[in-house]
Amino acid sequence: MNLAWNGQEIIAAPVAEVWAFITDPAKIASCLPDVLESTVHDANNFDAVVQVAVGPVRGKFKFKVALDPQPAANHMNLKISGGGFGSVVDLLAGADIKDDGNATTTLDWNGTATMRGPVATVGGRVLDAQAKRVIETTFANVKTRIGEEAVAGRP
Amino acid sequence: MAITEPAAPLTHSMGHSMKRKEDPKLIQGRGRYIDDIVLPHMLYLALVHSPYPHAKIVKIDKTAALAMPGVKAVLTADDLAGAGLAWIPTFHGYDKQMVLAVGKVLYQYQEVAGVIATSREAANDAAELVEVEYEPLEPVVNPFDAKEDKTLVREDRENKTNHIYHWEVGKRAETDAALAASDVHMKERLWFQRCHPAPLEPCGAIADMNTASGRLTIYLTSQAPHAHRTVVSLVTGIPEDKIHIISPDIGGGFGNKVPVYPGYVVATVASVVLGVPVKWIETRTENLTTTGFARDYHMDVEIGATKAGKVTALKVTTVADHGAFDAAADPTKYPAGLFGICTGSYDFPIAFTELDAYFTNKAPGGVAYRCSFRVTEASYAIERGMDLLAGRLGMDPAELRMLNFIKKEQFPYPSPLGFVYDSGDYHMTLQKALDRIGYDDLRKEQAQKRERGELMGIGISTFTEVVGAGPSKHFDIMGIKMFDSAEIRIHPTGSGIVRAGTRHQGQGHETTWAQIVAEELGLDPQNIMVEEGDTDTAPYGLGTYASRSTPVAGAAIAMAARRIRDKAKKIAAHVLEAAEADVDWIDYKFQVKGVPGKSVTMKEIAFAAYTNPAPDSEPGLEATYYYDPPNLTFPYGSYIAVVDVDRDTGETKVRRFLAIDDCGTIINPMIVEGQIHGGLTEGFAIAFMQEIAFDSAGNHLNTNFTDYLVPTSLETPHWETGSTVTPSPHHPIGAKGVGESPNVGSPAAFVNAVMDALSPLGIKNIDMPLTREKVWRAIREARA
Repeated sequence: MNLAWNGQEIIAAPVAEVWAFITDPAKIASCLPDVLESTVHDANNFDAVVQVAVGPVRGKFKFKVALDPQPAANHMNLKISGGGFGSVVDLLAGADIKDDGNATTTLDWNGTATMRGPVATVGGRVLDAQAKRVIETTFANVKTRIGEEAVAGRP
Repeated sequence: MAITEPAAPLTHSMGHSMKRKEDPKLIQGRGRYIDDIVLPHMLYLALVHSPYPHAKIVKIDKTAALAMPGVKAVLTADDLAGAGLAWIPTFHGYDKQMVLAVGKVLYQYQEVAGVIATSREAANDAAELVEVEYEPLEPVVNPFDAKEDKTLVREDRENKTNHIYHWEVGKRAETDAALAASDVHMKERLWFQRCHPAPLEPCGAIADMNTASGRLTIYLTSQAPHAHRTVVSLVTGIPEDKIHIISPDIGGGFGNKVPVYPGYVVATVASVVLGVPVKWIETRTENLTTTGFARDYHMDVEIGATKAGKVTALKVTTVADHGAFDAAADPTKYPAGLFGICTGSYDFPIAFTELDAYFTNKAPGGVAYRCSFRVTEASYAIERGMDLLAGRLGMDPAELRMLNFIKKEQFPYPSPLGFVYDSGDYHMTLQKALDRIGYDDLRKEQAQKRERGELMGIGISTFTEVVGAGPSKHFDIMGIKMFDSAEIRIHPTGSGIVRAGTRHQGQGHETTWAQIVAEELGLDPQNIMVEEGDTDTAPYGLGTYASRSTPVAGAAIAMAARRIRDKAKKIAAHVLEAAEADVDWIDYKFQVKGVPGKSVTMKEIAFAAYTNPAPDSEPGLEATYYYDPPNLTFPYGSYIAVVDVDRDTGETKVRRFLAIDDCGTIINPMIVEGQIHGGLTEGFAIAFMQEIAFDSAGNHLNTNFTDYLVPTSLETPHWETGSTVTPSPHHPIGAKGVGESPNVGSPAAFVNAVMDALSPLGIKNIDMPLTREKVWRAIREARA
């Protein structure tokens, strides 16, 4: 089963701050919803254990997350692969950031996911909504966390 | 000493609705199913399945699983290869199949590894810890893509193509010419969807290798214990006398428990290696995703006819989806089973059918799901085809059938596709059904409703089955001829035991076999014990599937009983002090000709056989018979469904369903009726609910009973049943078999009824299952 989504976040922070945030695996890990634990391996890779509840498919899924920053294009690719209980999820996300001036940045994101195994048998609309929630929440958390850091960093 | 008490009245011999002898233990929860069996020191097997439909296996890491407490072993294909069991032959021996994935996985949920542990829970938990690294490959999800050969499912085969085989029967050129010359040429593509037998008890095995005796006992959910014993011997090299298969009570089979599955093999290898019993009990998801599916035939049906409706030719061209291995459960010489019965009940002057089978990235199967080897697909093709032809001609479908039926005086009838039908009176049976359901009144009601815009439909299916495989000159499985067998022992006090090579799974053999013996020997059926399913005690037989039990094993029982009667006649002559030629079998006892008062019962003879045997015969009263049927049998029926379709929701309500079946001589009317109720319910589910579906990525979408629906009593319509009787002339008691007729005949009746209801909207065909969504969409598109 293949799914695709896109969206946009307007972040009240300059491009450099946003870029620094989204290229930090520890910070990205903290933005994934329902993360139980995460282990950062290097500047581009981390593992995450996530609590999943999609219809009857419930439990801990293990994911490998790889960041692929392309600074020249202000573009970041995010590859999330893993699963559990016989299910496999491959999620590819892309983020383009653009300086809007006035220390504001637009983050345009898109995502595609491929589901295999029991998770794919869950009705399409349920699965679509759940997966979309994950990716929407991730980028919404990015916006929130950058905002929090900006507030905390003010004199 | 002779027993002088009168024989018990024979109130329950053949033709009587004797209550099922097997029921008391089952309804009291005292059946013994495979998961009830617990052996000392027993371990448990859990299987690891692939989430990918097609992928290379890069690496399998057992480390974490082996480190878990209670885990005794983790087996992969490499381990099985050491025992020569990485691959095993498929059902008919034309292909081989992986036990555990070798190098790559070929379908989603394919078995990749087996974990053996001290508890079921430990095995399941450890199975989660087996880490398999895959490299996904493009899956081949339907047979029409498979035809392109862009992606190869089976690189291991010599022929680098997804095409498995081509099969044909009949006269192609003459059929094409006849179709071209016909006034009317109907052609329609029909798909009998992939579905699954889904027995309530899934499959399972307990392998118990006794290292002291060197004997392997396998408790197995087996519809064919002897065949499984032979297969185990052939693939393992263990001498057959060292293998003991016990098939305990079975909670439904429907063809699903005929093949050999990886869980059986892995449990056996594990028991041999570890020297303790190993149990594998399948989950519902494993059953639906990996064990034998049924149907999945895409059929182009063409019928030629005159303007008056007389059929001139039939052609059926089929594309079959076999999944990843050619494991279809068909006799060796019949790769498409008995699909040649697609001419049905009709007198086609000429016919031709061909089939091409393809590999896809789906689980293997093609089992005879409550049908005799592809007969359901064939029946659906012809019965839908006749209704489509009726639509083209503007004729009433009952009238069209009556016009084209094989006439009773044409039997034995040689069909244009090679069968010789044994007996039948199709006109009588359909007329009985039409009269009983009030067909003319229903058509009047339908006309009135159509004027009001209401969608009411009447669907007919007048199918003919071919069952009872089969005659040894044509039928074998891996070379083993498809005879069947019976052994009868009559004890001194007039009770007895019957052992047969069949294995019932709800068919009622413990009752009907006893009734046949009782009928043949004049004994009380309550005192005839029936035993099946133990290869150490039962004579060799090919098992219970494809409606073959009564046509083959039932005949063997009758013939064995007659052997006993022949011997009993000698004893009777001795006891009655008369010449054997002067003794007749009359009213269930032996009587001296012309002297009605001088007689002896079988019960008295049984005692004499052990206490006063005839001088010229051996003591005892036993017989064995291996029955090789001279022909197949051809049960048939006339089914009529009446439905109302809600044009706003697409919901179909089956208002009435009448099944008139002709299965020849009826042994037990109550059991026949029960069989018909069960089969109709399955046919109803297939027609309206069930499909094993896949998405374009090869994901299996019906992995449990929330997605693969089984009707409850709430959804199931009320069934009306009846019968006609045209005995089979070549069967010892005239029986033809009935267990599968309702599943074979009913799907077309349901679909014909819904299509009849939708015909005012110009809708000709919707492929099963006719879910309310599909019907609603069809109505909406037709309105647009």
